[in-house]
Amino acid sequence: MKLLRVLLVDDEIMIREGFKRLFDWQAHGCEVVGEAADGVQALSQIEQLQPDIVIMDINIPIMNGIKVIQIARMRNENIAFVIVSGYDDFSYCREALKLQITDYLLKPVDYEEFGACIDHLRISLFERGAARADEQEQGRTILQLTRYLQEHLQEEVSLSLLADTFHLSAAYISQLFKSEIGVNFLNYLTNIRMERAKKLLVSTDLPIAEVAEKSGYTDYRVFTKAFKKAEGATPSQYRRDFEVQP
Amino acid sequence: MLRMEIALILVLGFVAYIYYSAERTQTALHRTFSVLLAAALVHLVFDALTLYTVNHLDTVPRLLNDALHRVFVGTMVLVVFLFYQYIAILVEEETGKPRRLDIAARVFLAAAEVGVLVLPVHYAQTPLGNYSDGIHADVCYVSVAFYLLLCVGLLAGNWKSIHAKKRFAIGAALGIELSVSLLQGLHPTWLISGMGITLMTLAFYLTLENPDILRSELTEQKMSMLYLKSQVNPHFLYNTLDTIRIQAQLNGDEKVAQLLMRLVSFFRHSVKVDRSMVTLDEELELIEAYLDLMCVRYPKLKCSVDVAPELYEAQVPNFILQPLVENSLLHGLKNRGYCGELHVAAEKKGECLTLLVEDSGSGFAEGKKQKIDDMLRHYVTWEPKLTGNSIGVLNVQKRIKLLCGKAYGLSYEENELGGVTARITLPWRQGVSE
Repeated sequence: MKLLRVLLVDDEIMIREGFKRLFDWQAHGCEVVGEAADGVQALSQIEQLQPDIVIMDINIPIMNGIKVIQIARMRNENIAFVIVSGYDDFSYCREALKLQITDYLLKPVDYEEFGACIDHLRISLFERGAARADEQEQGRTILQLTRYLQEHLQEEVSLSLLADTFHLSAAYISQLFKSEIGVNFLNYLTNIRMERAKKLLVSTDLPIAEVAEKSGYTDYRVFTKAFKKAEGATPSQYRRDFEVQP
Repeated sequence: MLRMEIALILVLGFVAYIYYSAERTQTALHRTFSVLLAAALVHLVFDALTLYTVNHLDTVPRLLNDALHRVFVGTMVLVVFLFYQYIAILVEEETGKPRRLDIAARVFLAAAEVGVLVLPVHYAQTPLGNYSDGIHADVCYVSVAFYLLLCVGLLAGNWKSIHAKKRFAIGAALGIELSVSLLQGLHPTWLISGMGITLMTLAFYLTLENPDILRSELTEQKMSMLYLKSQVNPHFLYNTLDTIRIQAQLNGDEKVAQLLMRLVSFFRHSVKVDRSMVTLDEELELIEAYLDLMCVRYPKLKCSVDVAPELYEAQVPNFILQPLVENSLLHGLKNRGYCGELHVAAEKKGECLTLLVEDSGSGFAEGKKQKIDDMLRHYVTWEPKLTGNSIGVLNVQKRIKLLCGKAYGLSYEENELGGVTARITLPWRQGVSE
């Protein structure tokens, strides 16, 4: 599995240092390849280093983060941008959503939360690859496994159940997830459940309880708690916030 | 003439009463006016006394007459000096330039007072009345002339940089004193110096020192302080705290990093003041951050928040729990050395949402329950004390009544933990209501 290349952009050196040294990049299959303290520097670094992920503060000198993303996107549309924002640039964030930002986090950044965000990124990169895979590739074990999970999301799935179904050892499956996608099985499962829930919340009028059920949560309470932990908002809040968006 | 003196004393006495009982900022200007007012009153008393004695030279012993006269002139020179001082401070406040004439004014004061003490007093006796003349009386005229000259100099020299209103006040006072002094000089038997001093004091009182102006100065000062406070960017605060947090974590201090994280989170949630209603969930996040911090500060404190996730979406007025929790901590648990429990809970019954803040603190003091009940019942007209926490609680009650209706609100009761339970009842509302 290829290490993802990360560029850090923040005008505060302490924030960059924090990201660099307090987050276990290796464990999440990433490496920090560079940093930038202002918009122009960020652009030239993006050009030069061709990172996979840019961790980006919006409120940076010379050229703001939104502009940087717009320009960088024109040149290379595959870069994933994770916006890390202070509350003061909240108004930017609406704009940011239009730019298909992969994720966005509020300062202060909890590195654990940040880990979930990176995992999510890895998963969506993997899924993008899976969607483009040709027929021969579709036969690969990992793709069979993930397809099975997507189709049986409503049911109770576990590592051992998956192992029984595919006649593989649980340890092997676990290792496969780690090496192919870069995240562990449980994180993957939670992630696709959340993605399903978000999709249902936004695109349907189903009651929350039903959304929970369809996303594989039998207990509404557990779902609400898990959703809130992952998204920082309760399910209905999430739905509402989305409706408010123009 | 004596009647006029008595009237003047009454007028200034009244002014002094109002002035001393008014709240005011303690600036050099107001302090000088206080002293001036007191000195002018003392002076008027002696003015009245000498007015009598100078016209009864044959019955009043000469020594007493002289002594009174010296005090009369002495206080007059002092009052005129204070006038100068007052105007000088006023000009300094207006222009920002230091007072350079003070030394000359003080040296002159000392010299004049020595003169008043040692120079011989002489009385002129005329059919129209008696008055003092000669070198002793001249000290008076010279002093008034000297200080008036200084003041005119100050006024003229800084004419442009003094606010029109204050320019007028100074000008009027100087004009009055000048005309009265001239009249007194021309008609020595009139003995109207006291009137000049009273009118001059009154001129300042009415224009610059009256209670309305003092109060508005005071409020202006408080307001500007508040304004300044609100201008300190909260983002600056928690961005800086966040930087400190990262530094702590880089240094390997996880505990400190965690605490700072909670503190920043508390601040972040408390800035959401722009909405009147929030979800219960948002309100609880603030409370959880707050309680976490309090529990670290006071390890014997046991806090819990017990709210079912299906209530997270309930709409509640913004910032209603924190004042109650703070109240429980400061008035209940503090008396127990912060050793005890605090529970926040919510329950839905039919169309009502109930929020509870329970503590195992010291309970109600004698008569306190009654007082709180009264306050919460008469929330519309209740005047809270500016000290203590009652404003916060009253404010919670007012906002609930305003935002949710009169049927809902806050009440206090005793609980089985020995402490106090705050109970908020709200209508059950969910989802958007902005």
